[in-house]
Amino acid sequence: MRGFWTIYRRELSGLFLLPLAWILFCLTQFYNAFFFLHFVKDQTGGEVLSAMSLLMGGTWPYWFLMMFLPPLLTMRMISEESRSGMLEFLLTAPVGDASVVVGKALAASTFMGLIWLSFPLYGLVTSVLGAAPDWGAVATGWLGSLLVSAFFCAIGIVTSALCSTPLLAAFLAVVINVVIVVLPLLGSAAPGIPTRRFDFLIEKIDVTAHFQGSFQSGALDTGHVLFFVIWIAALLFLAVRLVESRRWI
Amino acid sequence: MITVTRLTRRFGNFTAVDDVSFRLERGEVVGFLGPNGAGKTTTMRMLTGFLPPSSGSIEIAGFDAFRQSMETRRRIGYLPEGVPLYREHRVEEMLAFQARLHRLEKRRIPARIAEVLERVGLAERARSVIGNLSKGQRQRVGLAVAMLPDPEVLILDEPTSGLDPLQRLEVRRLIHDLAQERTVLVSSHILPEIEAVCPRVIILDRGRIAADGTQDELVAELGGAAFVRLEAVVGPEVESAVRALESLPGVTAVHDRGALGIHRCFDVLAHEDVREDVGALAAVRGWALRELSWRKPTLEKLFARIALGFEPEAESKEKPRTRGETEPSGSDPASAPTFPLLAVQLGAAAPAPPAAPTTPSTPAPPSTPAVQRQVKTLNPFEIGGGGSDAPRPATPGECEENDG
Repeated sequence: MRGFWTIYRRELSGLFLLPLAWILFCLTQFYNAFFFLHFVKDQTGGEVLSAMSLLMGGTWPYWFLMMFLPPLLTMRMISEESRSGMLEFLLTAPVGDASVVVGKALAASTFMGLIWLSFPLYGLVTSVLGAAPDWGAVATGWLGSLLVSAFFCAIGIVTSALCSTPLLAAFLAVVINVVIVVLPLLGSAAPGIPTRRFDFLIEKIDVTAHFQGSFQSGALDTGHVLFFVIWIAALLFLAVRLVESRRWI
Repeated sequence: MITVTRLTRRFGNFTAVDDVSFRLERGEVVGFLGPNGAGKTTTMRMLTGFLPPSSGSIEIAGFDAFRQSMETRRRIGYLPEGVPLYREHRVEEMLAFQARLHRLEKRRIPARIAEVLERVGLAERARSVIGNLSKGQRQRVGLAVAMLPDPEVLILDEPTSGLDPLQRLEVRRLIHDLAQERTVLVSSHILPEIEAVCPRVIILDRGRIAADGTQDELVAELGGAAFVRLEAVVGPEVESAVRALESLPGVTAVHDRGALGIHRCFDVLAHEDVREDVGALAAVRGWALRELSWRKPTLEKLFARIALGFEPEAESKEKPRTRGETEPSGSDPASAPTFPLLAVQLGAAAPAPPAAPTTPSTPAPPSTPAVQRQVKTLNPFEIGGGGSDAPRPATPGECEENDG
């Protein structure tokens, strides 16, 4: 993992030097704030705790962001650099291919982590106003969001390594993300479809359930942590192989 | 420093680099020459470890470029084609990034960045965003990035493409400076670049090495002999003029290249520069001289021949075929004196022809300026020289059209 840290720093600063990241950051802050207010006022009748829980992965706005944001952050990372020749520069620098890929994926995840910092912020505000949140749940929620983000960023990196244009990479990543998020809901949404036979398969990729089952409720379960870590590692391994395969084409 | 052995690279059925072998010693500057698609970039990518070879081996500073890639990468400064840089970063940030990639000592980095920027003449642009720089400046940033870790080997893929002539000159000078301490491999399809910078040239054609040697060697071996070009008003007795020229000491052959208005054009082949003798002869005979020059076959002729698929050996023995329309002219004028190397040689080594200017005995007819002007306007098109019947060794494309 030579040079991983260097690549990571470069990618993160590169993200902040582009307008896209700032626009996304700004929009998501409005988005989260709007839904937090909406949940507090209209959905939970002023109950801050359950509103927080809804906001942190409890319902669709959170997953909507998770499906669409990481592909936008990662889409350029490999496909465009391959076009501009930057990838050639990186892959001939004395750093391993894995460092390049992992550095990029973690930079995107870090950016997502910054976006999700709005949760603790809301916690802070409400505790100042007199309704202290469950800090444990907020902490695990944020940590879990980081893992979920890393998972989706890894998918984005894989598609970016796979596709030759950023737009195609983003599109493919969004499609995969939507499938991953929606597939487990299929059983409940359409009872007629015999999903039981595939349940064991769906379980293996049911990100929503793994997140809601532990992090959201404030329980840090190593099994669930492991679920994410293994998926992220597998996806990044795939991305590294894809980048390497570019040399052989 | 670099040993390449039987290097081959295939892309599917297409063989981009075919059984290429060469050796570069420490401190050597080598130009990689070839038309587009000759395999220059592919070879360079294999040297830098970006592409693995299909077969063959590369050794750089004693390390295998494929198996010990990290070791070789640390020793190579590589400027890829198109000069990739992070445009959203500042110049110094990009250099700091490269320094960290190469694990330079932290406290040495700022001084090293300043040093390198000074070298490429961008010291005052250190804080500029790369995207805002001009193309020439970006190219120099690319060079700075490549030389920042002070590599033993510099590999520069078309470092001057897309630059204006002034910037080109700067980059060329920079490469020349760099070459003092390092092994440098420069690729280009622009000949004057290579002629000006690289003593040794490797010409690639369709993935194979077509020629490898110093410029003089290559030109001497493949390009035919040098000759003196004489253009003068010799009167009606052309035969006697040819005989007089042939009788000069050291002259091996004289080719009559035909008439140009009132002037007549001759190529005097000799083992050495016989301009003075020819000039003296002209003075004695009272020929009005218009041109007296020492012409060496250039790399460009050689390159064109190789790139266009002419067999150099066969070519040098028979008369030039109709090359006029195929020889690359256009942006780079085909006539020799525009080349820096040759221009320098001509400028330095050629004093004014001793007996050059006209003698009053042969006054130019009033139509001369018009004729000359006409010839001049024809100049760009007359790269052919195919009309000559005289068997001429391998230096086509210089004399004007013979018969109008």
